[in-house]
Amino acid sequence: MTRYAMVVDLRRCVGCQTCTAACKHTNATPPGVQWRWVLDVEAGEFPDVTRTFVPVGCQHCDEPPCETVCPTTATKKRADGLVTIDYDLCIGCAYCSVACPYNARYKVTRDTPAYGQGKMPNETQRADPARIGVATKCTFCVDRIDYGHAHGLVPGVDPDATPACANACIASALTFGDIDDPDSKASRLLRENEHFRMHEELGTGPGFFYLWEKKQ
Amino acid sequence: MTVSNPQGTTKIATYCYQCVAGPDLLKVKIEDGVATAIEPNFDAEDVHPAAGRVCVKAFGLVQKTYNPNRVLQPMKRTNPKKGRHEDPGFVPISWDEALDTIAAKLRGIRETGLLDASGYPRVAASFGGGGTPTAYMGTFPALLAAWGPVDMSFGSGQGVKCYHSEHLYGELWHRAFIVCPDTPRSKYILSFGSNIEASGGVCGVWRHAAARVEQGVKRVQIEPHLSVTGGCSAEWVPIKPKTDAACMHAMIHVMLFENARSRLDIDFLKHRTASPYLVAPNGFYLRDPDTRKPLVWDLKAGKAVVFDTPDIDPALDGDFIASGLEVLPDEELVTHEGVAVRSAFGKLLDHERSFTPEWAQGICDVPAATIRCVANEYLDHAEIGATIEIEGRTLPYRPVAVTLGKTVNNGWGGYDCCWARTLMACLVGALDVPGGTIGTAVRLNRPANDRQSSAKPGVDGFMDYPFNPTDKENWISRPQIRNANRTLVPLVANSAWSAALGPTHLAWMQQRHGFESFPEPTQPDVWFFYRTNPVISFWDTPQVAEAVAKFPFVVAFSYTRDETNHFADILLPDCTDLEGLQMLRIGGTKYVEQFWDHQGFALRQPAVPPQGETRDFTWISTELARRSGILDTYNKAINRGAAGVPLKGPNYDFSLQPDRAYGVEEIWDASCRAASAELTEGAEDHGLEWWKEHGFRTIEYPRLQWFLYPHLVDLGLRFEMPYQERISRIGEELGRRLHESGIDWWDRQLTEYRPLPEFHDFSHLIKHAVISNLGGRDEDFPFWLLTARSMQYSWGGNVSLQMVREVAANVKGHRGVIMNPTAARKLGIEDGDLVEVRSPLRETRGRVVLRQGIRPDTLLMVGQFDHWITPYAKDFDVPSMNALVPMLMDLTDATGSAADIVPVSIKRIGGAQ
Repeated sequence: MTRYAMVVDLRRCVGCQTCTAACKHTNATPPGVQWRWVLDVEAGEFPDVTRTFVPVGCQHCDEPPCETVCPTTATKKRADGLVTIDYDLCIGCAYCSVACPYNARYKVTRDTPAYGQGKMPNETQRADPARIGVATKCTFCVDRIDYGHAHGLVPGVDPDATPACANACIASALTFGDIDDPDSKASRLLRENEHFRMHEELGTGPGFFYLWEKKQ
Repeated sequence: MTVSNPQGTTKIATYCYQCVAGPDLLKVKIEDGVATAIEPNFDAEDVHPAAGRVCVKAFGLVQKTYNPNRVLQPMKRTNPKKGRHEDPGFVPISWDEALDTIAAKLRGIRETGLLDASGYPRVAASFGGGGTPTAYMGTFPALLAAWGPVDMSFGSGQGVKCYHSEHLYGELWHRAFIVCPDTPRSKYILSFGSNIEASGGVCGVWRHAAARVEQGVKRVQIEPHLSVTGGCSAEWVPIKPKTDAACMHAMIHVMLFENARSRLDIDFLKHRTASPYLVAPNGFYLRDPDTRKPLVWDLKAGKAVVFDTPDIDPALDGDFIASGLEVLPDEELVTHEGVAVRSAFGKLLDHERSFTPEWAQGICDVPAATIRCVANEYLDHAEIGATIEIEGRTLPYRPVAVTLGKTVNNGWGGYDCCWARTLMACLVGALDVPGGTIGTAVRLNRPANDRQSSAKPGVDGFMDYPFNPTDKENWISRPQIRNANRTLVPLVANSAWSAALGPTHLAWMQQRHGFESFPEPTQPDVWFFYRTNPVISFWDTPQVAEAVAKFPFVVAFSYTRDETNHFADILLPDCTDLEGLQMLRIGGTKYVEQFWDHQGFALRQPAVPPQGETRDFTWISTELARRSGILDTYNKAINRGAAGVPLKGPNYDFSLQPDRAYGVEEIWDASCRAASAELTEGAEDHGLEWWKEHGFRTIEYPRLQWFLYPHLVDLGLRFEMPYQERISRIGEELGRRLHESGIDWWDRQLTEYRPLPEFHDFSHLIKHAVISNLGGRDEDFPFWLLTARSMQYSWGGNVSLQMVREVAANVKGHRGVIMNPTAARKLGIEDGDLVEVRSPLRETRGRVVLRQGIRPDTLLMVGQFDHWITPYAKDFDVPSMNALVPMLMDLTDATGSAADIVPVSIKRIGGAQ
């Protein structure tokens, strides 16, 4: 079996938002829509304070709450772990947005150019009417993964088959891969490091793992 | 150019050098002729130190290209009145009209004389971003070189926003215009406010992330607010602003007086520093009368001998009776017979004895126990005696480093902190050795692309240094440019970078009032500026605006309208990053954390056609050269290498004919061929088409070149630490020259020239300087206002890009004034409230962002905003500290810089939105 997941090393992330920007480029998301972004989290009280940068987005859950509530079956879980949205089936009811505990889904109802005064050439080039009025979210760059499979590339290893955020990360904090493959870098990182998943207590089985310390 | 999958689109290789931490390599994705995305250049994965990645700023380049607010055709001003509230009345004009207008001015100047009545160049130019505009302005450097004297002393942030003291003292002590850890080998890093995760670029982030996780490096971040870097560090020590020198002195005290001497690198101190040099009664070295070489006390012979006598064991510490010659300032000679002398190290011990952790605690608000702990951890990690093999050569291995942030480096206290940092490295033998505190670049010494070659033998066993003269005969009494850099700052040397590293605010201050016994201040007849916005980025920005408004003829290379080109006479729209053509030298060691195992060149090529009527900078430069009658010298300057690579070398010659106006592609084709030949000793001569396809070409760069230590060993040289005899001498001589000329307004700066830094409470000194000049009471300004770099914006000139604004907002502090909640509560301020922040100079407004990660006595304004013309940015409503910081002589240190800090008050004036 294959289970694609994202492994985030919190010791490495500096919150630079390069992944956020790379995602926006690759997926041509409109202003205000960030399928991948990084939280700037402060904890404690002065002077005992910590500041941590936490990349977030769709967690591609094992048991996606968004799938359960979808009335049209637009949201589906693939066998390889990716949670997808069929824009042709989505009616934009936004149940999924409410159900998602990770605040990962977006819906825009109209084209909004970055400068609000007509589209720039890149916006015109990448405009996708199918995404208006429907739920959207991180796809783990599914087109790259599928392309990779079709051309003998390994997702998480070959850039053309790897999500743009992981490709772009300047701290090597994001590692994408098949965690059912014991030889993948993602699997190795999970074996060697302590990790957690966000809101795991909800039983969603997130496909996003956060490393925080080397195993003793 | 490559066609790549998965979408079958074209990807074009180019570079990003928007910040000083570059250049980095990238690819632009082109769909149907439109740039749609930026990606890493994975072709460079094995070449580039960060495996071909680029940071978030590079992803702004697509919007930068298509931004609807760009200036897309030449414009001229129609309203002769200049002022913030005057509409310039810009109207479109043809390129011919724009260039002919400028050329007519330039020809007129050549006919009148290149210098004005005060001896200042009639043409001035300013560039921003720590030299990065050079990577985008094609052959314009050749035009400047062909012109003759150009005043580049009007700063746009230099001295305040840079690492100024480090640039000057770093180059003196270890050819380190920039200082950084040997990150891949370090195990313990003391960072005094160095926000490396925001300002170190892709390579900095990449290397430090690996160091944290793979090497287990411990980084202790000592700074008043918890920066991005503090968040990524093992420990945060919230020190009181601008008291770092006290903390560092105390750490040195712990190392010298609370630990066994054997914990220091005695061999390094004895043989690679001036620690054993004997100091004579007047404070200068005791010298051999015949050779004038400094003397040391040889423990084997029991007598004073010259420092380079073979097979000696020089005493590190102690009082001795010796005879010799003492050379005082201005060559005054004193002969000593049997006088009491002390080693430089002994002088250091005397100097540091009283700086206990308990003493420092009262100044910097860091517990004495923390200071002790950190100093001892530093020693624990130093691994005295350890070695490492680099490319077959065995070198000392000292995995401890100390780094300094810009406000620590700048202004009063900068000398002290740079000295203390360098000394801390010397005490454990960690200066410019693997694992230690090392340098990356030279800008004041020559050659600029090779630190090792720039380290030539000088006097007293030290490296030579190109001090500006301070002796009676050669002191440059009449300033050559308006910031008087070579007249006032011997350390600033005389390279192409020296103008920008002088006291650049003096050029602006002189526009308001002249200085006594100095030439009459004048305005440049023509001022060019590019990729800089000093009306936003300097201090006391309204004063800068006032000065610019009086300049008679201003030519602005413009991307959008902005606060400085608001005062321009001509706007010239150049091709931006993804539209222009240029070749750039890459690799080696440079800037913040760029340590490559390769060196070579990269091409910036048009990924998309130029928008509107924008023109390639090389075309603009050639046309200006042609129309102003200096084409011949312009082409010769290109041939010499003014555009980045000499066109003639030992095995090749692609020189341009002096009298011909070449096309853009012709010029860069010649540069491409020359670059290919330079890299291969003439074996290759790939032209522009090859470079367009491949993007870059490199050869290996020896890792031994990362470290200066082996080069010094080979030359038998020493680091000039701890005692600053030369600094002391030139300071005394400079003072005499200034006083002989009737100048006493630089006296405060002269106090910094001490052989060992004289401690001051710089926090107190700065507050007193501001209030005594501008009025007010101490208690009226209870907060310190600081700033911090933003990776998303720093140096990028990208404030008008929507996407950058959007993603930067995810990082706290980009939308207001960061304040401690406990301090806010006392003033009835809540998160999001509108507040007024007031310095003794003026006030600004913004929204409060409450964060626990800041001292209660400190406020923070990230980045530099406060725009009032720049499209998009003018609607941010985010404050900047720049308008609140005064330009004052009393805030200026001996190197000509001042710190980005000002005392302020804060009060609530409105509720949250």
